[in-house]
Amino acid sequence: TSKTMLKGVRKLIPRVHKLDPGCLLRMSTQAPRSIQLPVQRPRAICRTPESDPAKHGDMHEGQHYSIPLQDLKTIFPHGLPPRFAMQVKTFGEACLMVRKPALELLQYLKNTNFTHPAVRYLLYGEKGTGKTLSLCHVIHFCAKHNWLTLHVPDAHLWVKNCRELLRSTYNKQRLDQPLEASTWLRRFKTTNEHFLSQIKVEEKYIWNKRESTEKGSPLGEVVEQGLMRVRNATDAVGIVLKELKRQSCLGRLQLLVAVDGVNALWGRTTLQREDKSPVAPEELALVHNLRKMVDNDWHGGAIVLTLSQTGSLFKPQTAYLPHELLGKEGFDALDPFVPILVSNYNPKEFESSFQYYLENNWLQHEKAPTEEGKKELLFLSNSNPGQLERLCAYL
Amino acid sequence: MAARTVWAAGRCSEQAGAVNRAVRRLPGLTQVRWSRYGPEFRDPLTDKGHCRKPAAELTEEEKYDQDLGKTQLIKAAPAAQTCSAFADPVISKSTNMMMKGGSKVLARSLMAQTLEAVERKQFEKYHAASAEEQATIERNPYTIFHQALKNCEPVIGLVPILKGGHFYQVPVPLSDRRRRFLAMKWMIKDCRENKPRRTLMPEKLSYELLEAFANKGPVIKRKHDMHKMAEANRALAHYRWW
Repeated sequence: TSKTMLKGVRKLIPRVHKLDPGCLLRMSTQAPRSIQLPVQRPRAICRTPESDPAKHGDMHEGQHYSIPLQDLKTIFPHGLPPRFAMQVKTFGEACLMVRKPALELLQYLKNTNFTHPAVRYLLYGEKGTGKTLSLCHVIHFCAKHNWLTLHVPDAHLWVKNCRELLRSTYNKQRLDQPLEASTWLRRFKTTNEHFLSQIKVEEKYIWNKRESTEKGSPLGEVVEQGLMRVRNATDAVGIVLKELKRQSCLGRLQLLVAVDGVNALWGRTTLQREDKSPVAPEELALVHNLRKMVDNDWHGGAIVLTLSQTGSLFKPQTAYLPHELLGKEGFDALDPFVPILVSNYNPKEFESSFQYYLENNWLQHEKAPTEEGKKELLFLSNSNPGQLERLCAYL
Repeated sequence: MAARTVWAAGRCSEQAGAVNRAVRRLPGLTQVRWSRYGPEFRDPLTDKGHCRKPAAELTEEEKYDQDLGKTQLIKAAPAAQTCSAFADPVISKSTNMMMKGGSKVLARSLMAQTLEAVERKQFEKYHAASAEEQATIERNPYTIFHQALKNCEPVIGLVPILKGGHFYQVPVPLSDRRRRFLAMKWMIKDCRENKPRRTLMPEKLSYELLEAFANKGPVIKRKHDMHKMAEANRALAHYRWW
């Protein structure tokens, strides 16, 4: 009987190729009950009802899961890429695709040893492959599991187009960026409101002649001080980072440091002083403090980083590998790290993405749902997620 | 599509070969527009289905055509010709009219952004509307584009005719091509000139297209003004001799 079963299964396998690759999701999990295949082609599945990232596994690969919009406002006050934010507004739902790089990262994070130094994970890949959205997936997981998320949505915004550069009061050699620091503090407060009252500061900080923060007061006070007195915002950010590092070393909380576009910390800046002399990144207090945070001299959490050529300065468009974008200095500073490649869609993921757009009626052109249209989209986008999104926007 | 030669006198010739011979015989006539290709060149094919038919399905004529194609010379395809499933002649024409300085890349991206803006606005309206209204809201940017331009086409036009030393605006029937051209031209011109400072073309054009789709807006008004002028000048209609 086992021989006949095998024969039956072998007859089944050549025919399966003619079905949608999305159907394999259902077919592989069910046992082959009968040799008779259904007459109609079953619709490929592109959504999963599982909205908890901890339960995502290989069976959910290629499927979209939705994040409730209320969570979006608290977890990602600034972190979504602009095109994805437009899509969320148009469709009225935030759906992320579960993909291999994110699943790999989630596996590593679930097995982190909090007594060992923090491991650095670097997401790299070509333009538009989905590094930022994989990072968002990971941040959602950590936020759901009560980690403290320290999210810098784009480090490139700190090294270019800065209106005000003040000389730092703490260190005369460095420069302050009050606007960027205060926006970041405001959003940090929105994300981690419940932690701010629990964490107590371990040192006394004197802001000026009249104001100071005593030892043992909650971290929320430092954040308030930074928001009220914008001149001290950069120093407040530095203090927050230092205190969080200390607290996670003491084992009181689990810290996730998520930085998008980390190659900005070791590149060049387009900022100038009043005498038109160029500013190096280490002379910016925000960049200096963030570099210390990304070091692996603390334990009790993890560091997830993303490279980005899109906002980078003075880097060629074709560069995407770590040593190309980080340079020697950056690579040596981040070494050792776990590199995770984010690549273009495989056929199953492409099919899923296509079905998702069809379900939301986003592809309005008459020829778009046809086989011909799908082949053309596959060819034009080369299965690149970013390109596919831009093509589907006007079709 | 054989290359047409336009004579100075206004006549059209049937074939390029006959035209060349006529030029050599009659010294008074000169060719105004000419093609580098001789009469032996065929036009390129863009129909993918034609090439993929298996040999059994071809008729005698098509087989002869295919065999002939192996030996005959073929003209180079122009850059804008595609076999894409999403190619639309109206959209291509509008893109070319919007183009400045030959930067087709910029014009195409502006057109893509316009269609995207139209689609997003319609989706917002759709989600905000009730169930009965949702059936009436059109979300396809291509149907909106085509309908908007159709609504902007004038039925009758005005042409300046010189009579007795003065130019009179005479009402005249317009051909289909002229009407489509005028609709597109008015739309693009209005978007370039009458917009608040620092608004981008896609934003303004999407707004104008949606207004024209609903038969309102400045371009529709211009069409109505043209009709009114034609109605007012209808006494001069006999000045037209064609």
